[in-house]
This record gives sequence, structure tokens and C-alpha cells, in this order.
Amino acid sequence: MQKREPLTAFLFLTPALLLVGVFGVLPILHSVFLSLFRWSLKPGPFLGLGNYEEIFGSLWSLAWVAGLAALVVFAFRGTRSSRAAVRWAGRLTLAATLGGLFVLLGVSWADGDSDFFRSLVVTFWFVLGTVPFQMLFGLVLALGLDAKFQGKKALRSLFLVPYVVPVVASAGVFDLLFSLRPESMANQILHGVGMAPAQWLREPRGLFQLAGLSPGPDPWLALWTSGPSLALVCILIFNVWIYSGYYALIFSNGLAAIPREVYEAAKLDGVGGGRLLFRIILPLLSPTSYFLALLGVISTFKAFTSVFILRDAAVGGATDPTSVYIFFTFFRGLRYGYAAALAFVLFLLVLGLTLVQRRILERRVFYG
Amino acid sequence: MDDRAVRWRRAPGEWFLRVGFLTAAAFVAVVPLLWMVANALKSGGETITRASANPFDPLFWPTTPLWTNFVQVWLDDDFGSYFVHSALIAGVTTAGVLLTSILAAYAFARLRFPGRETIFSGLLATLMIPEVVTVLPNFLVVSALGWVDTLAGLTVPFMAGAFSIFLLRQFIRQIPETLFDAAQIDGASHLRTTFSLVVPLTRGPLFTIAFLEVTASWNSLQWPLLVAQTPRWRPLSVGLARFLSGVGPQIELRMAASLIALVPIVLFFLMAQRQIHETLMKSGLQE
Repeated sequence: MQKREPLTAFLFLTPALLLVGVFGVLPILHSVFLSLFRWSLKPGPFLGLGNYEEIFGSLWSLAWVAGLAALVVFAFRGTRSSRAAVRWAGRLTLAATLGGLFVLLGVSWADGDSDFFRSLVVTFWFVLGTVPFQMLFGLVLALGLDAKFQGKKALRSLFLVPYVVPVVASAGVFDLLFSLRPESMANQILHGVGMAPAQWLREPRGLFQLAGLSPGPDPWLALWTSGPSLALVCILIFNVWIYSGYYALIFSNGLAAIPREVYEAAKLDGVGGGRLLFRIILPLLSPTSYFLALLGVISTFKAFTSVFILRDAAVGGATDPTSVYIFFTFFRGLRYGYAAALAFVLFLLVLGLTLVQRRILERRVFYG
Repeated sequence: MDDRAVRWRRAPGEWFLRVGFLTAAAFVAVVPLLWMVANALKSGGETITRASANPFDPLFWPTTPLWTNFVQVWLDDDFGSYFVHSALIAGVTTAGVLLTSILAAYAFARLRFPGRETIFSGLLATLMIPEVVTVLPNFLVVSALGWVDTLAGLTVPFMAGAFSIFLLRQFIRQIPETLFDAAQIDGASHLRTTFSLVVPLTRGPLFTIAFLEVTASWNSLQWPLLVAQTPRWRPLSVGLARFLSGVGPQIELRMAASLIALVPIVLFFLMAQRQIHETLMKSGLQE
């Protein structure tokens, strides 16, 4: 019996690992292979790094970006050093290389695939405009639910309904709630507070720009300083609406795992209110928050359906995060080799971000 | 828990604040869907003349509910067969996931073999891979296999997932050792143990995985847009997306069609939710 365990394990694991391998892991290698060709519907000629050259504008930019990215990783490790001098050198190098990388990406944006680099900016706003809000609302809802009262179960279920409903269907509703008509829900709310109707999903201008702030003369910098387009903000609101209840569910589980003795001890010591929340509950919840932050950032790179339904051709891609941009590159553009190159660049970016995020957040997680 | 309940009874003001806030939040969660229901039942003219953002305003609702919108949508497009396709795709995918996951989770939780922890962490790492990276190569593979516009193409790539294996493994590890010893003394094989001991004891998590898989499959859009190109296996998500982009500005028809796609999955959720909450509470996900 004992001797046959590895064989049994092999047989039990084969179906799952085969499927995950073929459809989950192999595609990454397959992408690298495809990205070296001009491949549009049918296999085409070998291009080498030609597709990457097109993305970054020139092979020089590509080499610089790769070099600086490596330097960022190196400097980041330096900031973790136990020696103060190395930490400071690391911090300075990190600031310098990140600044350099920003300028360099501006050059690539100008010379290379500007739509791709803009989609990265959109993705950045996507993360910033959804994850913190979902976490905040989820936490507040979970804290609200963390008591005994009538109707708790019904409320808890209602919060999850937006997460369960098919995104295609609920996006159809938000499309109309944010419609241009003066009687749409969003415009009525604006009317209620005495403001003129807005263009919502058809507004390519940035939020800060609409608020009257000048984005500055440099076009690459302006892409950031004008803020997320109002059209994108509508999509972000929709995403926060979908996920807040789900985050509340996960936070509820985290709260339920805090032992009752902790509350009793806090009460005996006269600790309550804000101090109980910030000094005791939040640190004890940090593994849950860590899990949700990681999950949130990753799922941003998967965001597809909400944008696909709510995007308006009139805003010229101002709402498209990288996932959607890549999809259209091969779905409508039929440029398979090029899309594969974009996808591989995105993969490396996600990989890097995940590692950095883990390093940064892990230190703040309290595992009791 | 009791202790905290007592505290609320002593502070009715705080209780009021709490329930009031939660009710307001639930209101925000549900209003867009109420709006969907209300407008699915209006006439074309009423969607414009009777408009309100407030469900307590009679203008939010139709004067008389117009059920014929559903009939019109149902006849305009082939929603009946989209339904059947979506149900079959969800059912087959879910059955596949449950089978591959329970076997793999049993191996990871109960069997000793070289490289167990390494393989498991490798499996978990696949959760980090964005779908857009895998979707194009997978489409080429599925095309090469001749699976475009087939049930296999729509289901097989999703028949295994790291998350469900992870969740089941957590639960199998919580099953007392003595039960496995007893099974071994009775001479049960690992396969037998899996299906007659582990499966009955992990009904809750299996059910939760089934629910998550059915929902994910029912709601997925990106992959079926590529693989279900003809009406032959077109699922509801793609059918609805096409309907919405083709129907024009008729709000009542858009909302009626969306409601049709939403009702089965919401009913399923309301039936399943108690079990799901229970499972996630016990899953140890917070650790």
C-alpha cells in the first residue's frame, strides 16, 4: 500500500495537472514563441524581436527598459538591506531608476505603441480606482455585519447579489444609468444637486481636467495628470458596485476568526472604539487584507466584461485597460504574433508587480 | 458573539446606526437591479416619460406592467437555445472541475509523494496568470484540435483550477485521521476512500465550488466570444451581448433581455447561499 502511494498520487493528479498545464502554463511559452513571428490568422515570417521593437519604438528603448527594470529590482533589494548605508543607496537608486523608467516609457509611448502604453495608464487608474474603495467598503460592511441583529442574513445576501448577477446583464443597466439622456439616473442625481448633465461614458476627458486643473504641457505627463477619464470612472464605479459585497464576505470570515477573548480582554482594559479598531481588529485582519489586496490587483488585469460592454467607440480607447486592448488586437485586428508579444510584456509586468507587492505587504502582515 | 449582542441591546442608538447604514448599503446594491425590473416592464414611451432615480417615487415604476416585453425579446432572438447551451456548458464544466479537483485535492492532502509541496505551490502560482495571456494561445490550440464551435472547446479548458483544489485540500486535511485509518483497515483503495468517505464529508465545499463554477461559466464572455462564433453553441452571455449591441435604444427590451439572463443565476444563488456562507466560514481562507 505504502509503496504504491506515489503511483496513486500520479494517477490522481494527472487530469488536473494536465489541464492546468496545457491551458494555464503552456500558453505562456506558446506566447513567447508566437511573439517572434508576424502571425496574422495564418503563420507568417520570423521577426525575431520585431514585435517587441514595434511596442517599445526601437530596440534601444526595449534594451533600456529591460535594463532599468532590472536595476529597479536590484535597488529594491538594496532597500531591504540590514546596513543603513546600503538602504539609503538603494532608496536613491530606486527613486532615480523609477524616474528614469517613467521618462523612458514616455519615449516608448511617443515612438512605439502609444495605445498600449495608454492602456497601462488606464490599468493603473483601474487598480487605484477600485481596489482601495472595494477594500474600504467591504471592511465597513463587514464591521457593520459583525453583530447579532434581525435581518442580518437577508442583508448579507443582498450585498452579494451584485457579484452574482451576470456582468453582461448588470453592465447593460449601468450603460443606461449613465446614459446621456437628461432623465438617466446619473444625470438626475446631478440635476438634484444643481449640476448640468454630463457625458458620462462618452466623456474622454480626465477627471482632474474636468475639475479645472491644467494637465500641463508635456503630453506623456498629461496622460497621467489629467486623471482617469469620466468614462473610465463610470466603469470603475460599476466595478466597485460589483465587488464590495464580495470583499465584505471575505472580511466577515476574517472577523469571525478573531477569538472572542480578544474582545473581552480589550473590554477589561477599557479599550474601545477607534483604538479597538485600529490597534487590535485591523492588525488581526491583516492577512485577510493582504489576500484581498493581492486578489484585487490581479483581478484588475483580468477585468474584461465590464469594459467590453460599457466601452464607447467615441472615447477612442480611453477606457481600455491592457487586457481589453490586447483582446482587440487579436480579436478585431487579427494580429496574433503582435498580441502575443503584448501579452508576454503584460505577463512580465504582472509577475514583477506581484513579487513587489508581496514583498511590500508581507512585512506589514501580522500573523499572530 | 453573545457578549457583543448584549452590548448592542444596551446601545439602541448604535444599533439604529448600524442597521440604518447597512440598509442604505443594501439599497445601493439593489437599486440598479430594481431599475432593471421596473424598466423591463415599461412601454417604450414610459421608459422616457416615466423616469426617476428613486424607487419610492411612483415614476420609477410602470403604470401597468407590460409582460409582453419578455415575449417579444424571447421571440426576437433565440434565447431559448442560448439558455440550453449555457446550462449544458455550465453543467459539463462543473462536473469536470469537481472530478479533477477532488482527485487532485485528495492526493495533495492524503498521499505522500516526492515534490508534493513544490507541485502544490506551482499550482497556486497559476492563479497569478492573467487570462488575457492564455486566451490567444488557447484559442489556437482549440482551433488546431477542431474544437471551435463545440461543447468540448467551451468546457475542457476550464475543467481544472487551482482555487478549487486549494479549497478542497483545506477541508480534506480537517477530516480526522482515524476515519482514514478505519477505511484502510477495511481495505478500501484510495479511489474508494475518495468517493465513499471524502466526498460525503466535503459535500459543503463541493457544493460551493459547484456554485462558483456555474456562476463563472454562466457569466463568462471573453472565451465564448472567440470559441462560440456561430449560433450552434452560443451561450447566453454572448447572445445577450450581441442582442444589446444590435437592438438599438429600446430600453424596455434591453432590460427584459438582461432580466431573462439574470433570473436563473440569482434564483440559484438564493437557494445555495446558506451553504456557501457556511463553507467559506469554515474554509480557513483567512489564515
